[in-house]
Amino acid sequence: MTEAQAIVFVIDDDEAMREALQNLIRSVGLSVEIFASAREFLTSQRPDAPACLVVDVRLPGLSGLDLQRELVAAEITVPIIFITGYGDIPMTVQAMKAGAVEFLTKPFRDQDLLDAIQQALERDRAERQ
Amino acid sequence: MNVPHGGEKVTEPIKSNHDVPLEASRPEGAVPLESILCTEALHRRPWRPPDYGKENRALVALATALADSPRTILHTLAETVLEVLQADSAGLSLLTNDEHRFYWAAIAGAWQPHIGGGTPRDFGPCGDVLDRNVPMLFTHWERRYPYLRPATPLAEEGLLVPFYVHGKAVGTIWAIAHNDRRKFDAEDLRLLESLGRFASAAYQALASIDDLTFQIAAREKAEAAVRELANGLEAKIRRLVDSNIIGIFICGLDGRIIEANDAFLRIVGYGRDDLVSGRVSWRELTPAEYCDADDRRVAQLKATGTAQPYEKEYFQKNGRRVPVLVGAALFEGRLEEGVAFVLDLTERKRAEEALHQAQAELAHINRVMTMGELASSIAHEVNQPLAALVTNSNAGLRWLAGQPPNLDEARECLRRIMRDGNRAGDVITRLRSLVKKSAPAKAWLDLNDTIQEVLLITNAEARRHQVFVRTELAALPPVQGDRVQVQQVILNLVMNGIEAMKEVTDRPRELLIRSRPEESSHVLVAVQDRGIGLDEQSLERVFEAFYTTKPEGMGMGLTISRSIIEAHGGRLWPVAHRDYGATFQFTLPTEGGSQQV
Repeated sequence: MTEAQAIVFVIDDDEAMREALQNLIRSVGLSVEIFASAREFLTSQRPDAPACLVVDVRLPGLSGLDLQRELVAAEITVPIIFITGYGDIPMTVQAMKAGAVEFLTKPFRDQDLLDAIQQALERDRAERQ
Repeated sequence: MNVPHGGEKVTEPIKSNHDVPLEASRPEGAVPLESILCTEALHRRPWRPPDYGKENRALVALATALADSPRTILHTLAETVLEVLQADSAGLSLLTNDEHRFYWAAIAGAWQPHIGGGTPRDFGPCGDVLDRNVPMLFTHWERRYPYLRPATPLAEEGLLVPFYVHGKAVGTIWAIAHNDRRKFDAEDLRLLESLGRFASAAYQALASIDDLTFQIAAREKAEAAVRELANGLEAKIRRLVDSNIIGIFICGLDGRIIEANDAFLRIVGYGRDDLVSGRVSWRELTPAEYCDADDRRVAQLKATGTAQPYEKEYFQKNGRRVPVLVGAALFEGRLEEGVAFVLDLTERKRAEEALHQAQAELAHINRVMTMGELASSIAHEVNQPLAALVTNSNAGLRWLAGQPPNLDEARECLRRIMRDGNRAGDVITRLRSLVKKSAPAKAWLDLNDTIQEVLLITNAEARRHQVFVRTELAALPPVQGDRVQVQQVILNLVMNGIEAMKEVTDRPRELLIRSRPEESSHVLVAVQDRGIGLDEQSLERVFEAFYTTKPEGMGMGLTISRSIIEAHGGRLWPVAHRDYGATFQFTLPTEGGSQQV
């Protein structure tokens, strides 16, 4: 049985950043879906496939950490990679404790992000078996 | 005709300490008039032969007295009656102007203390005499007229004769005997009637004298008032001119300066000799660019007689310019001459300049401080397009490294890189223009653009505090203003709004920015938060310098914002909301509503 195509969800309210991330992830052959807000993501139909989230911590409305909390509460174990414009250590610690895979500060090295994505997808695949 | 103005005392019936009502009513048990009259007895009584010599001497003495001292003639008359009739009391009663009462204008003899007292017109001996228009002899009149009881000593007999002016009875002349030692007779009646005729003449003379005196006095008083007014006015004008607080000169519309005070000469730096030699012409003192304005004022002067004060400049003798405020008025009747008032504005201009500088300095400090508060957000704002740019570059390289290279995707990446680079550059340019110290420059602004420019800078700060910024911007006519300063005001208001919502957790943090054209040629910008709001005290104090509710604020933002808006001819004010939050709004005049700057 062939496994479903892995998918990366990008949530960022900044359109330029959203598109740049989509472009970068596509360039290594992964599928990407983009969302402008956490609410938009939560209400979307998600395919049954290995996945990970790339989320800006500071989202308007429901923040990245809020989203993480909601997912934990709903027992959705999709791994999360946080990116942020601020080097905010307490927030990083909090996110990591709650199960975040990686925490990247903008601007980050593209290879770091892509590595983190691969790692997260591996983890999700393992979780799903 | 006037009654004598002399001793009229109509309000006190009897001057002694007796209380007699003004309008005595007829008491129930009053005896009939006939019972106190004994007029017929006069003719029954034996009478003395007339002493014409004595009578004549008395009349001559009275006439002399009237000529010499008319003021006391009524009293002299009373004394004459007393003496000629050998009565105990004698006097004159005059009808008051309202004809309600008689008052005792003059009394001699025992009743002298009652002078100024009197009796009612409709119920008293004088009234009875006037009603019947005949002389009457009374006995113990207090039996019918109880109010006369306090008039002591009581009258055993009272003889009254009416006297007339122009055929109309105006009073009585009377003699009283206080005991029965002396009974009045027909000769007494004749003498009293004779003296009554004199009383009439004296009364008329006195009235015309009084009338005349009154008229003369009135005229003199009016003349004195006019004189005083003229003197006072002249003194006041002199004082104004000589005080040299403001420059004053008298001039012809052609430019001649006919007369000027020292203050004016000091303002323009000329000496009095220059003035005398006719070297000073206000037209020549005026720099060319003010000539049109001057011509307009001259036209206004000719049309209305005055020229509203306006600001201009004069050349001083040394060639320097002096800023002044000038108003003028034409002299009545002389259409080519007028007086001008000149106020030296040098000091005021200097103070204004210093104030502007201080305000600009403060405004700059406020901008720099706001930028300081915004620093991390701004870093983020610049970081955001840079991060996108780096990511796009990486993606581009990856598309090119593919086999075969994906040129379309790589081209798209480059386009985005360019866009992100421009965006970062824009933010930095805007920031620099806000922090830079620059001379204020008025330009036509679309406030909606200004709002968007500010939001570009505050976006990140809003995001950082999870504040949702919403705009409702209506199409606006342009306003004239300094771009940086107006940006600063909006920036302050937006930052305050975000700040006010920092602690809010129980409702969405929303900042609403609205703009709309107002009536009377203004546009309105309102920044509404859903924050902690303002209490009454804060509402009054927010515009005070150094008043702040923020722990790290300096309390200058709103003060500076208000002074900027007011300098632009607008208004800035807060509105507290009943539930929560506050709105700060300002108006600025558009072309039609802008004041002269």
